[in-house]
Formats: sequence, C-alpha cells, structure tokens
Amino acid sequence: CENFLDVNTNPNAATTVDPKLLFSNATVNWINSRSGGDLYIPTALAGQSIASGGNNPTGWGIPSEEQYQISPFSTGNTWRANYTSVGSNLTEAIRLAESAVPARVNAAAQSKVMLAMVVYETTTLYGDIPFSEAWNVEIAAPKFDPQPQVLEGVLSLLDEALAQFDLAAAPALKISDYDLFYKGDLTKWQRLAKSVKLRTLLTMVDKDPSKAAVIGQLVTEGGMISSAADNFLVNYEATAGKRNPKFGLSDQYNAGTPFFFGSKYVVDFMNSIKDPRLPKFFDKPAGAANYVGVQPGEDGDDDVNVRIAKSLHRADAPDVIFSYQEQLFYEAEVNARGLGIPVNLAAATTLYRKAAEESSKFFGVDAATAATFAASLTDLTTLSNREAVKLIHYHNWVDKMDRGVDAFTQWRRSGPEGDEVPNLTLPVGAPAGGLFRRFEYPATNEIASNPNAPQELIPYNSKMWFDL
Amino acid sequence: QDRSISGKVIDGSSSQGLPGVTVLVKGTSVGTATDADGNFTIAAPTNSTTLVFSFIGYIPQEQAIGNGSTINITLQPDTKQLNEVVVTALGISREAKSLGYATQQVNSNELTKARETNVVNSLAGKVSGVRITSQSGTLGGSSKIIIRGASSLDAASQPIFVIDGLPVDNSSQQLSTVNSTVPQGSAGVDFGNRAGDINPDDIESINVLKGAAATALYGARAKNGAIIITTKKGKKGVTNIVINSSTRFDRVLKLPSFQNEYAQGNQGVFNLANTNGWGPKISEIQEQTFKNFLGEDETLRAYENNVKDFYQTGHTYLNSVAFESGGDNGDFRLGYTNTYQDAIVPGQNLKRNSINLNSGRTVAKGLDVRANLNYISTSSDGRPVQSSNNPNILASAINGIPRTVDINKVRENVMDEFGQQITLTPGRTGNNPYWIIQNNKFSNSLDRFYGNAIVSYKPVEWLTISDNFGGDIYNEFRKGVTRPGTIGALTGNFFQGNIFNRTINNDLIISTQRNLSENLELRVLAGHNVYSTYYRRDQSDAQQLTVDELYTFTNAASVITTNTSTQKRIVGVYGEIGLSYKDFLFLNITGRNDWSSTLPVNNRSYFYPSVSSSFVFTELLPNNNVLSFGKLRMSWANVGSDTDPYQLDLTYPAQSTAFAQYGYGSSFPFNGVLGFSLPGTIPNFNLKPQNQNSYEVGTELRFLNNLVTLDFNYYNNLTSDQIIALSLPNSTGYAAKRVNAGSIRNKGIEIALGFSPFKTSSFTWSTDVNFSRNRQTVDDLPDEITNYSVASGWSGLQVRAAEGEAFGFYGTGWDRDPEGNIVINQNTGLRLTKNDVRLGNIYPDWMMGINNSFTFKNINLGFLIDIRQGGVIYSSTAQSLRSAGLAEETLENRGNIFIDKGVNRNADGTYTPNTVPVQSMQDFWGNFSSNSNAEGNIYDASYVKLREIRLAYTLPAGWFSNNSKFVKSIDIGVEGRNLWIIHDNVPHIDPEVNFFGPTSVAEGIEFNSVPSTRSFGFNVRARF
Repeated sequence: CENFLDVNTNPNAATTVDPKLLFSNATVNWINSRSGGDLYIPTALAGQSIASGGNNPTGWGIPSEEQYQISPFSTGNTWRANYTSVGSNLTEAIRLAESAVPARVNAAAQSKVMLAMVVYETTTLYGDIPFSEAWNVEIAAPKFDPQPQVLEGVLSLLDEALAQFDLAAAPALKISDYDLFYKGDLTKWQRLAKSVKLRTLLTMVDKDPSKAAVIGQLVTEGGMISSAADNFLVNYEATAGKRNPKFGLSDQYNAGTPFFFGSKYVVDFMNSIKDPRLPKFFDKPAGAANYVGVQPGEDGDDDVNVRIAKSLHRADAPDVIFSYQEQLFYEAEVNARGLGIPVNLAAATTLYRKAAEESSKFFGVDAATAATFAASLTDLTTLSNREAVKLIHYHNWVDKMDRGVDAFTQWRRSGPEGDEVPNLTLPVGAPAGGLFRRFEYPATNEIASNPNAPQELIPYNSKMWFDL
Repeated sequence: QDRSISGKVIDGSSSQGLPGVTVLVKGTSVGTATDADGNFTIAAPTNSTTLVFSFIGYIPQEQAIGNGSTINITLQPDTKQLNEVVVTALGISREAKSLGYATQQVNSNELTKARETNVVNSLAGKVSGVRITSQSGTLGGSSKIIIRGASSLDAASQPIFVIDGLPVDNSSQQLSTVNSTVPQGSAGVDFGNRAGDINPDDIESINVLKGAAATALYGARAKNGAIIITTKKGKKGVTNIVINSSTRFDRVLKLPSFQNEYAQGNQGVFNLANTNGWGPKISEIQEQTFKNFLGEDETLRAYENNVKDFYQTGHTYLNSVAFESGGDNGDFRLGYTNTYQDAIVPGQNLKRNSINLNSGRTVAKGLDVRANLNYISTSSDGRPVQSSNNPNILASAINGIPRTVDINKVRENVMDEFGQQITLTPGRTGNNPYWIIQNNKFSNSLDRFYGNAIVSYKPVEWLTISDNFGGDIYNEFRKGVTRPGTIGALTGNFFQGNIFNRTINNDLIISTQRNLSENLELRVLAGHNVYSTYYRRDQSDAQQLTVDELYTFTNAASVITTNTSTQKRIVGVYGEIGLSYKDFLFLNITGRNDWSSTLPVNNRSYFYPSVSSSFVFTELLPNNNVLSFGKLRMSWANVGSDTDPYQLDLTYPAQSTAFAQYGYGSSFPFNGVLGFSLPGTIPNFNLKPQNQNSYEVGTELRFLNNLVTLDFNYYNNLTSDQIIALSLPNSTGYAAKRVNAGSIRNKGIEIALGFSPFKTSSFTWSTDVNFSRNRQTVDDLPDEITNYSVASGWSGLQVRAAEGEAFGFYGTGWDRDPEGNIVINQNTGLRLTKNDVRLGNIYPDWMMGINNSFTFKNINLGFLIDIRQGGVIYSSTAQSLRSAGLAEETLENRGNIFIDKGVNRNADGTYTPNTVPVQSMQDFWGNFSSNSNAEGNIYDASYVKLREIRLAYTLPAGWFSNNSKFVKSIDIGVEGRNLWIIHDNVPHIDPEVNFFGPTSVAEGIEFNSVPSTRSFGFNVRARF
C-alpha cells in the first residue's frame, strides 16, 4: 500500500537548477514587461511621449491609457512581473549562486545588478514599495518601505554587487551564455552597476541634495558605461514567438499599421532642431511634406500626422534598459547643474552633443549626419543655467521617447511641478485633476492580500517622494 | 374446490404483456406469477372473491373475480410509488423510503423525450438543487452542473459521474488553442465536457445524489454530489428491437438587436475604415455614393438581416437501434447510436458513434457475472473560437459587420485573385468571418472506451460478495489551424494536442442482510476500493508557415512542444450498517477511510462518517384519505477530500513562454537560451485533507392518494480546510501559497411539488415543480486576507470570495458620491469610474422548473419552464455592440444634446448636479460601454425560459396486434428545446451563455460567445 501510493513526485519539473536558468527567464520576462502592453503603452501614452491618435480608426483609440484609463491588469501585471517572474527568480538565482560551493560570486553579482534595476523601475512606477521584506518565504505580508529607503537599498545592492565581482574567478562562477546582455563580460557589468548608481542618485538628488557630493565623486571617478558597446539591451528576434511585443501588437491587431502616433511634444521639438532621427522615429503619410505630430488625445489624420515608424517597432527591435547616450546625457546634466562638481556648461555642451550624436547613430542615422547634427545643437554656454539643464532634459526625454517608463521618469525628475521638461498639459479627454504621475497600486496582486499595504487609494495624479 | 382463472396482465406504459407480476388470491397465500408474455393461470379457492396483482414499479390492483374464468387487466406504472427503488452509492439499490437523505431520479423516458446530445443538459429544470449552465451554442459544447451551490474556492465543484458502479471521467481539459503566448481565458474553443460522451439512449435512469450523506461511501470524489447512471439491460422474458430516430433543426435563440439607421464612420462622418455604426444617418445621404469594401460605388442602405443571415439552420440526426433480450439465466442488450449534427455556424459539425453492450448471466447458482462495455467515437470540426485575444474569434467578427454591408457580398468575396483575403476595411484590421469559418478550423476527435465487469457470488442467501472492476480510457486529439493570410496571424499557425486519460477503479464489496428479530433487519456492508488516474498531454504549437494550407511541423519556422503528465491513486476501505425497524424506521451509518497519494505521507489517511435516518411516520397514523404517506429524514456527514497531484514539493518548471500583454509574449528558447522559474505557488508539505461537514433534514409527503406529493429539504454544508492556492501579495515573490484555509457554507432549501390538477380515466394533467434556493456565504477566510480571487475575467473583472458574502464580481464601477449619484467628468460630461467595486453575485437567488404533462388517451403533451432569479452577468457582446454604435439603443439621443444624470465633483470636495453635456453619443457609449468599464456591461441574469416542449403520440396497440406480427409499438413525437426566452433582462444575448467552463468555479461572463440555439424536431420510436 505504501509503495502503491508513492506516486506524487512531479515528473514535469526540475528539482534543482543552475542559477543561469532563472536569470535568463527573469531577463525575458523583464524585457517583455517593459516592451509589452502593460508597461510600455500606459507609460508612453499617459507620459505623452507617444499619442493614441484619438478616434482614428486604426489608432489605439480613446478613451484609453492616454486619458488615464489604465487597466488594473496593466498595473497588476507589471507589479507581478517585477516581483514574481523577474524579482523572485533573480532572488532565487542569488540564493542558489551564493549557497553553491564554491560560491558563484559573479553570477550572484550579475543578478544583483539586474535586481537593483528592477527595484529602481518598480519604485519609480509605484512609489513606496516592499523591498526590505520582499522575496522572503517567511514573510507573508511584506511592509512597504518609503521610496528613499528603497532607493538607498538599490544603491546598496549595486555596491554589494560591485564588491562581489571577482574578475579573476573561474568562468564557471559567472553567467556567460545565459547572459543575454553582455555574455558574461564582467567589466561591462561593473560599468553598468556604476551607471545605474548615477541614474539612481540623479533621481534622488532633487529631494535629497546630499546626493550631489556622491554624484560628483562618481562622475569624477568614471568607470561607467563608455561606448555603445556597453548598451544594456536585449535584441528580440524576427522569428515568430520571439518578436518585440511592440511589433506584435500592430502586427496582430492592426494589420501591421502602427497603432501609435507621434506626440506633438516630441515631433515639434525634433522639427525645431532639424533632427535627423525624425524618419527613424516616425513614418510620414505619403505625400505629406512635414512631420506633424498630434496633441495627445486629438484625432490623428492619416493624411497629415506621423505614426511611430515601422522600423522603430520592427520585429527584432531591442528593449533598451540603459544606453550610452543616456549616460552622456546624465554626465552633461551633472556638469550643467554642478552636482558635486563645479558647473561646467562647456563640458556639458560637449557631452550632450556627443549624446545626441550617439543617439542618432543608435537609431540608424549615419555617422556623418549624426556628427553634423550634433555640432549644430545649441551651445549651452549661451543659455541660462536652467535653460541649459532643461535643454539637456528635453534631449534626454526625446531619446527615451519609445522607452515608456524611462521617459516618464525622466520627465518627472526634470523639474518641479509646472517646470518639467517638456511642459506637458492634460491630454484631450483626460479628467481634470492633474497629470499622470504614477501607477496606482494593484488591488489584486498586492493590496487585497497584504494587510501591511497602504489601503487608502493613492491616485495616479499624486506625486511620489522623488517627484518635486 | 378450486377454480381455474387465467388471463393476461398488460403493461400500461407499453401495452404489452407484463411478465413476473405477482397474482395473489386476496386473503390467502395462493399465488402465481405471469409468464414472459404476461399470461397467468391460477387455481383460486371457491370462496375467494378478489385477485391482487402487484409488480414492483406498478400500482397494485385488485380485481373482483366474478363469474368468468378470464381476467385481463392493465397495470399502470407507479412513478410515485411507496416502494420505489433507487440506485444509491456503489450501485446499491435501496427502497426510497428507507433513505435518510434527498435523491431525485430522472428516468429514461424523460431523457429520451426531447433528448439532448449532452446528457447533462437534460437534467436542467428537472431536479431541484441542481443547476446546469452551458457555455455556448458550440456543438458538443460543455455543460457545467452545480449541486447545492459551489463549495470550493478554486476548483470547479463538479459532481462525480458513476455508470453502473464505475466512476467515469467528466473533465473538460483545457488546452491552449492557439500559439501559447496568447492567453486563452478558459474557453478559447469549447471542446466540451466528457460526460457529454454518455449516450442518453443507453440510460435507464439517472439518480442525483445531492448531499454528502448520500455520497459518503464514494468519499472525496463525490463531495460535490454524484450523478448515478444506471444503464438499460435486457428484461427477463422480453425480446425487443428498439429503433429511435430524431431529427431536429437548430436556429439562433437570440440575436442582438441592431440599429439600422446609421452607417460606419466617426462622429457622423462616413469612413469605410470603421467597423461600427458611428457614421452618418443613412437616410440623409441618399444623394451620395460611397465606396464599399469591394471598391464599388454604392448608395448606402441598411441590411437589416446581415447578421441573422450569417447563421444557418443547424441539423441534428440522432438514430439508435437496440437489441434487448432476457431469460432466466441471463440478459443482453446491444445498443448503437449515431449522432450527426451540423451547426448554425456554417462549417461546424459533430459526429458521434457509440456502441454499448450490457450483458449478464448466472453461471452457477449464486454466481452472476455482468459486463458492460462502451465504445464512443466522436469527431468534430469547425468549432468556433470565443473569448478574446485570438484572430479567429467569430462572434465579434460577425456582430461587428457595419449595417450597410450586404452579407451576401461578404460571403461571395472571401479571397481576391491573388489569394489574399478580402477584408471589410481598407486598413485590413479585421477578418472576413467567412475566411475564418472556411479556413481556420478547430477540430477534435475522441476515442473512448469505458466499461466494467462485475462478478457477484452468493454462497448463502444472506451473503453477497461482489467485485466490480472497470476502466475509462480515452484519447482525444485536437487541432486548430490558422491559415496564412489571416489578419492577426498573417504568417499562419497551428497547434496539435493529444490528451490521454485513464481511470481504473475496483470495488470489492461484501454485504449481508439478516433479520435480527421479527421487526428488526440488519444490513452490513464492507468494501475495499482502489482508484487510479493517469493523465498525459502532449502539445505542439507551430508558427510561421511557409506553404499555404499545409499544416505539418516541417512547414513551420518555429515549433514549441510541451508535455505533461499526472498520476493519482486512492485506496479506500468502507463499511455501512443499516437497520430497519418494522419497515418504517431506518438508520444507516457509513464510514470510509481513504489513503490518497496526493497528500503528505503523514496526512494521507483520513476517515469520514455519515449517519442518516428515515422515519415513515404515516405507518403510525390511522389510515386516512388526506395524508397517504409521510416521511421524515435527516442525515449528517463529514467527508474529507484530497487535492491534485504534486502540490507538496518545490520544483522549478521549465518555461515555454514569457508573458506580455495582448498576447505577444516570447517563447523559449529565446536568443538560444531556456528559462526555468520558481513555481508561482509556494508548495506545502504539511497539507491535510479538506473537510466537508453537512447535514440535511427533509420530509416527503403524499396527499389524497398520491394526487399531491411534496418533497421538502433543507441542507447546510460547510466546506472547510480547503486546499487552496491562497493569494499572496506578489511582493513575496510568489502569487500564492498552498494552504488549508477558508470555508464556504451553502445552505438552502429544495422543494419538489407534484400534483395532478385534473385526472379522469382518459385525461390526466400533472405538474411537477422543482424549486431550489441556495445561499452561499464565504464563512471564514484566513486572517491575513479580506477576499480571495476565485477567477479572473477580462477587463479587470474578477470573481472573488469575500467574507460574509457569496462569490461576486469585482471590477471597475461608476464613481459615486456619498448619496450614490454617479460622478461625471466636468470636462467631457462622461461618467467617471473607480476600481475594485463589488458588482453583484454571480449565482442566482433561486431556480425553479415547472414541468407540465397532459395525457389524453395515447397523446402526451409536456412542457418545461425553467426560471432563474438573481445573479448578474457581464456581456462583452453588448459591450462591443454599444461602444461600436451598432446596438439598437445607441440610436437614442443621437444628434441631440445629452446631459447624463449625475453630479460633478468640485475642487472643494462638494458635489453639484451635472450640467455638462457629452460631446456626442459616440463618446457617451464609448465611455459607458468601454471594455475596461465593467459596471456598464453588467446585467441581471434572471430569466424565464420555455426549456422543453414535447408532444408524443403512441399508435394504438390494436393497429399492430391485428395487422402486423412483428411491430409491438410505435411512438411518434414532436419535440423542441430552448424554444423561447419568455423573459430576461440582458440585451443582445441569452443570459445563460457563459465563458467559464466546467473547470472553473466562476460563471457569469459572456465573452464573444457563439449564440445559443433553439431546436425543434420530431422523433419516431418503434419496438419490434
């Protein structure tokens, strides 16, 4: 009888795994979340870096995310992805790597850098989030840590990882073939970790000016992302089932016509600087002379307005999480603002021009045109300091146009309310009461089952700690 | 001196001779029995005056002897007789009056009149406390059966199906029906529930065991009730060939109500690119011409029937033949049934062949053997795709056709000369519905064998040893293809899946029956059970096809193959002790201990007892004409149950896909790497069995010589320690943990009332009313949660369990001020919404079936009215028709200024009545019926339906006795099912359709369901 009943061993799953198998799964889930309909569409539409095209029959339609009708699925799935399929597998990968004999230190450190980035993304979306008590089987109701503590935690994780990287260790102690970003190039991981520290500190510094000194130190020391080869991204494949979700959406539901239109805030700015990235970002209607964006919420006219370029949302387009040009924009900003170092608008000019050049090349502009374009950009020394900083911010935001949440965070940290870059107004049809500033907490995935969660609704238009 | 009397006893139901009838001279022990043809001869003492004829299942009759030597009488079947025998758990026959719990039996003639191809559906309205919901109008679609309310927080509460003692599978296996990165809902394609394989023609009776006391001997598997099916056998002394033939015609039961005044477009301006009704008023633009989808210039007109004309008349042909024979030492029945159906949706069909052989024989004195073997072969093609996120969804493709489109042109122009699909819009945003039904076929084929062998030995009169060994094995093959050129899947794809399922069951039972004294009888039963199931699924999804219409894996750029298998075993021992005192007081005690492979070794053993008692109190009352029969019954049971396999250990499943919203996730290997994951649910190696504690009390009363019968029952079930995946906040890293937690109470009443308002020798009118009311409450949830998500619909709509409430919908609702007025956006005049509002119970308050039967001589007319009161339903069909401006009600206020009733919320937190008009009715409906807005699309799900109507005529027996030697009887009938929704409160759809299948505890969401059907036809039944 005993033996007869001993048939409860699962034949369909592994009892032990290499941490890299969890790391790769976390990676693909993360990029899918970032490029997929739950995170990309709401943050890009509500953040107004793209536009729905109003009632255009092949546009995304309104009222939609652009009018702040954000599905509880979107806020819930993003939360779920970051905490479960991404965060929990990274945490488990770290646990398995560190408990292995010998400890797989580099695998743990790689996972920590990525986890830090996921936590950063999560807190910039939702504000206060569980961190210190998250991913702990013993704790059924993790407490919500205030955002500054979460961001400090991000910095600590990155420091831990930086201390843990051991370039001399045996190759078996790192993740190589399953590292879809850098294929196990630990130097790049170290540079990335420092760059992510910079991005995190820049998000904190307006609210916590004490971070300026740390920023200055970091920029002075250098060792951060230093070329396009360091770009932290994953390419999708042009094969069925492995395509970029942005492509998939239009392909599956809109006969291949991109659902989204160019936002007036992006197109107008790019027109003003004769930006060579315009044809890379947008497809102009046949016969239209100019690139014309739409005010978010207004009806897109198929004879007039530009849509997001098919080539930008191509099947094998990458999900970009940290880019070289982004690093350069941050460094330009640090110089322009004099964060921990003296204000240096000349250096800032060089850096932001270089950033615009790298951005142009990244999006497919040829090197010569990119260089010419960069050289044509306004010399920041001719501007007031705030104007200079705002111009860097605008460029930084335009570069991130198609990165949904990253553009949204860039906009929120670009200045105090009313002085952000760009100066957005309420999308057509959006309810009165202020611009979109956060994802609301997901009821199903967290609030309903966590008695330690804030039970009072924190609406989409209320600011979080870092957002002045 | 004795005198010889002879005669014939005729069966009133068949007009044939009735064998085995006891004929007794009243007041004596002189008696005999009728022979195979119903003839008898008896030697009656001279002073005797009366003969008594009795036969089980028939009303006994007394007949004065008189002077003649021949007595011919007709015995009428007694449908409400006192000594009715019912089949209870494990196939044990018991006298109905001795049962301490409620059961309700449906006999074969109820099932074969207006017969249903899915036997589950034929129970609708006929058994109190039993609720049937079907998913859609899909042929061979699934039906869910809920007895006394849903008792589980996550698994579907389906009863066990037992055929002649063999538990058979009634699963509805879910298998993703397109590329597995696309979420399926629970009903992409409805492949049916496996009880639908059971052939109604082979069924003698269905007995519904509703409560735990009734099913306690089955243990865990029957905690949601049991459907006990007894199949037909050859009858002793009777040889029949029965031919039964039905032909039926199906039409759509309820079509949406469309507007026929406005063309497609935007804000009153025509645009061919829209598939909606928000364009110009057709009557106002008669002087203009517009390009249609074929590029032809035409003056617009409305095609009022363009959606109606898409659907066709479906046909059902049910033909069966059975050979029945029985003698002293054995019996035999061979049945064959052929079913062919085509559907209201062109291109959909279903074929089924089933063969049943049921034969028993006495091989030696006291030694009986019986084998019951069934083979079923089912295949279907063209099953429609429902729910969401699939390019092949049919309902929305049809309903979304603009009013100005001629369906004939759509049908005649599916493909252009280059082989490209002709779509309805120049933007190629949606599929031509005929492209879908002609090319993208979802099919399955099933081969199933089930049967059992019973050996029963009686060494002495009071002892029976029997063993019942059986198996249920099937393989189902599924395939779904999407042709290259399909909008939404331009490069084409297909999937194939194989599902194998095997159930093996053995019961060894020893039973004995002794009279302890003159008045006290004891029955003892002991049994041993082994139950084992094995399930295996292999599935492959192929993407990106190169050669058109070639569905081989070698023609695909990418193929994802997944496989899984599960195994589960239960060993049980059980016993029953029954006492009856003077045939009016009965006590029954059962106990069973199970050991389940799915539970931790230390907790795998669990015991459950039941006690039931019945008291026929009229036996103690003086004979009277008012109360002919009265019985009180009560029972208590406590049953345990196990869980699914593999819930105990932490394992890392390999991932085939990674999710992204709108169905465009990624598949592994991705960029050459695989992915594994922690499980979503924390396993629990300390699980203990679930527990169900229940009691019921009831009474059975018969008045005025059975003219009025009343069966009343009250039950109260508490299912606790449920094994559930308790939602964890995702910040733990998990979605859930497996725990024993939560309890659900279901309490309710069941009333079965029968009466004959009018009865003469040639005309009878009888009515049966089945009423049931169930109150479900979630009694206890773990402290850390306030509600539990039972199932997820679309658009943020969830079915949740909240303490103190029944399962209900939660989702986006209207934002309201403290007085309950709807808050309106000051900028747009449109209603505001807020998340997470409770939007109503998903289950009805009460159900009622009213069955009327009129018999005049050989003619019988019956009809069944089915009523549901309460509960809500979400309709995506209504949602999309309204937001697209195609629904009739969107005509209202078009072109006028419309100010929605509500309030504006001022900056200071006060409210003032809304004065802001909506910009247009297009904006109003776009907001009101937005798919992210649940409350605007939720309706009361109550209905009154004419479920069944049948008119039967039995050709007079005299016609055959003279003219034909071999025809025994012919019945002809006209029958209809689901003919008329007499009343409902949901626009555009049948309130019964439902996107959740039998695997889900949830219901009440209609999501692009194919409309349900009404059917009408005729039936001929002949016996030779």
